[in-house]
Amino acid sequence: VNKRKLFPTRAALTLTPAAVSKIRLLLQDKPEYIGLKVGVRTRGCNGLTYTLEYTKEKEKSDEEVLQDGVRVFIEKKAQLTLLGTEMDFVESKLSSEFIFNNPNIKGMCGCGESFNI
Amino acid sequence: RQELCRLPESSQPLYIAGQRCFSNASIRKEKSGEPSPSEDKVHLTESCVKRLSEIMEKGEYLRIHVEGGGCSGFQYKFSVDRNKNEEDRVFEQGGVGIVVDQESLEFVKGSTVDFSQELIRSTFQVLKNPQADHGCSCGSSFSVKV
Repeated sequence: VNKRKLFPTRAALTLTPAAVSKIRLLLQDKPEYIGLKVGVRTRGCNGLTYTLEYTKEKEKSDEEVLQDGVRVFIEKKAQLTLLGTEMDFVESKLSSEFIFNNPNIKGMCGCGESFNI
Repeated sequence: RQELCRLPESSQPLYIAGQRCFSNASIRKEKSGEPSPSEDKVHLTESCVKRLSEIMEKGEYLRIHVEGGGCSGFQYKFSVDRNKNEEDRVFEQGGVGIVVDQESLEFVKGSTVDFSQELIRSTFQVLKNPQADHGCSCGSSFSVKV
């Protein structure tokens, strides 16, 4: 019987299995990148929007999340905003996207891209 | 040309405006063999055609549907459809097709459908919509020019 993994501290960001496998797939043929970096920008009708990019190195102020062998870094500015967020990857025939289930947000744009805290 | 048809209060005498529309329509008919004006078309970008040919089976179309909603008043909906109705317009390019119903077409005619691929999301988008005033940052919602 497999026991559930216990984490000593609460991770700043958790990844769903779908997100983990997608990130792994994305990084597979890009050995120069060590992971993805999540950030937030002021944009959109609800104030903030998430950004996602490849990253080559960990910056001093970045929070590192290591889960199931994939690394995701969180920009300093986004750390408070994202605390406790679950990052998921949703794929359908017509679209595929990373979504962030963020417990801190108050409101969201209809499309889910823009949000406020 | 389109403006002349839509705005009867144009400074030009009405009969000239009418004549222009008529003559344009007849030229277009000769050129393309299509009964409808070319301004009513929906264009497809290369990446859109490529993606559609990857995901669509034979007889499947990408349907674009406009409905009220979203933060700017109207929003685009994309779906996969095997059926097309009589009032649907079909736009085919490179072996793939999109269908738009008449009512939605009024809101999207002249625009371009693109498949945008970014790290955070890849999805179909309606770009360069001449009817849209300004939209939501995500591009799924828009308001109409008055």
